[in-house]
Amino acid sequence: MSGLLAAAPARLGATGRRASARRPDWRPFLAAPAWWLAAFVTWYWPDADDFPETALLSRLLALVGAVLFVAALSGRLHRRGPWAVALGLALAAWEVVQAKLLWLKRPFFGTPQDLLDVFVSDWRRLADSLAHSLALLGVGYAAGALLGVAVGVGLGRAPRFRYWAQPVIRLVGPLPPAALLPLAFVLIPSSRLASEALLALAAGFPVAILTWSGIAAVDPALYDVARTMGAKDRFLVWRVALPAAMPQIFVGLFMGLGVSFAMLVVAEMLGVKSGLGFYLQWAQGWAAYPNMYAALLVMSVMCSVLMSLLFKVRDRVLRWQKDGLKW
Amino acid sequence: MVNAAPLSLRIADVSHAYRIDGAERTVLDGIDLRIAPGAFVALLGASGSGKSTLLRLMAGLERPRSGRILADDVEIAGPGPDRLVMFQDPTLYPWRSVRGNIALGHDIAGRGDRDAVERAIDLVGLRGFERAWPHQLSGGMAQRAALARALVNAPRALLLDEPLGKLDSLTRLTMQTELRRLWEQRGFTAVMVTHDVEEALLLATRVVVIGGRPGRVIGDIAIDMQAPRHRDDARLLGLRRDILGQLGHRELW
Ligand SMILES: Nc1ncnc2c1ncn2[C@@H]1O[C@H](COP(=O)(O)OP(=O)(O)O)[C@@H](O)[C@H]1O
Ligand SMILES: [Mg+2]
Repeated sequence: MSGLLAAAPARLGATGRRASARRPDWRPFLAAPAWWLAAFVTWYWPDADDFPETALLSRLLALVGAVLFVAALSGRLHRRGPWAVALGLALAAWEVVQAKLLWLKRPFFGTPQDLLDVFVSDWRRLADSLAHSLALLGVGYAAGALLGVAVGVGLGRAPRFRYWAQPVIRLVGPLPPAALLPLAFVLIPSSRLASEALLALAAGFPVAILTWSGIAAVDPALYDVARTMGAKDRFLVWRVALPAAMPQIFVGLFMGLGVSFAMLVVAEMLGVKSGLGFYLQWAQGWAAYPNMYAALLVMSVMCSVLMSLLFKVRDRVLRWQKDGLKW
Repeated sequence: MVNAAPLSLRIADVSHAYRIDGAERTVLDGIDLRIAPGAFVALLGASGSGKSTLLRLMAGLERPRSGRILADDVEIAGPGPDRLVMFQDPTLYPWRSVRGNIALGHDIAGRGDRDAVERAIDLVGLRGFERAWPHQLSGGMAQRAALARALVNAPRALLLDEPLGKLDSLTRLTMQTELRRLWEQRGFTAVMVTHDVEEALLLATRVVVIGGRPGRVIGDIAIDMQAPRHRDDARLLGLRRDILGQLGHRELW
């Protein structure tokens, strides 16, 4: 049986490896040429206008190509290979269409070197904005998650608390937290604190509801087992109810994180004068479109990385589950 | 895992009712039983006759509406580790490994007797699976784990609610022998709910038949036969006919 348990994943892994062992796969080696092509086009074909950083861009593209070549040599480019090829070709196409031929309308559509120029010249402010966004989000989301779990446990296990809290949550919870923003900025003197409170509210609501529903669905027999062994309330909450509700709690945490991203941008645009949201708005005000694209890129990487982190945590915490969506 | 002294149980004129759709419904009526320490009592009866309810009362998970339940002449005030329950479903904690599940009682009591846990794993034959998650176990193995989870606490009484009810018939035969062996070896008092007459006759030293709605004791039969018992034994077949008769199935025999 333990052999069987081990066999399934092992077999999955083996097919991938066996295919590569049987006959050398040349496809990963397409990635480097794709990027070198982009580098060559960038360097050789004269720009249609006076764009910045063309030389640096072509060198960077060539460098990425070299890295991909090494990766292909060391056999680490199997799954991502097609993506690496596509990205290289897409960059080459973008370069040709915009930097060399100027087919798309400026300034809404920039060139790759415009984007690179923003990172080269304005990286300090971008990094600073990222740090501010992360700090705001981190504090607000963490507070909301903790609060949400606590409220959810209360709703699930304490009838008195449920009696008083449920109507309030039903009234306030579904309200889009952004609607509370103007009020929060008036009531709370620090716009940063106000934003954090709203972020916590935004993240806390789904976490609370899903924690509650998770705890409500716990098989009562699990409590009975622990109670016959002498477990008291503390054990029943921390070691039975919470672990049993964990799959649901994570659904809430994911939903909460998504809502937090939205809330973060709104708060930064309307109140806090820092962060990526603020940067975006500033870029729009000055019609600095490359800066906007750069900020959007940074923001999407940030959100994606945070999502992935949460998935990692979930996979670790819920490793006892049969199945798990892979992110 | 030392063998604890078996518990004596006294069920004194116990009645119990549930509120169903606003109406009080009596489930158990005037149950009066003395269970000797170290006995293996089978509670036999049709489904809905209140056997599980009686077991929950003995475990202390619920208080009877009237009457008293005493363990070693002390009234039961609530659940306690001297009386452990094993349900029809293994009710393992899915987030704990087999070993973690078996160590549950120790975690609750705040003591870490690793040796006892390891011995319990061996006792029920789960060596090699102690790191598996519950969802990776077969039904029989999961019930073994549930059994070990109870036994590791050296209960003085083990209350079993149709513990083999969902197992396939072959696994069931193995587990019956296993249960009987563990009871002989460990010397706890066993009360096992079942609706399988043959199982009751093979395992128990005494069969209490519960019938009617609300449930009452309608038969009480001592079986003074040593194990291993054989299913085809003439005396068992006779007892089986008697019990089925008490349960209202005389015409089939
Ligand atoms: N928690 C409960 N709430 C309401 N009714 C219950 C509850 N538990 C059991 N009952 C009712 O009590 C009766 C006896 O149930 P039970 O003790 O489970 O019988 P058995 O185990 O003999 O099948 C059934 O009619 C059942 O519907
Ligand atoms: Mg039952």
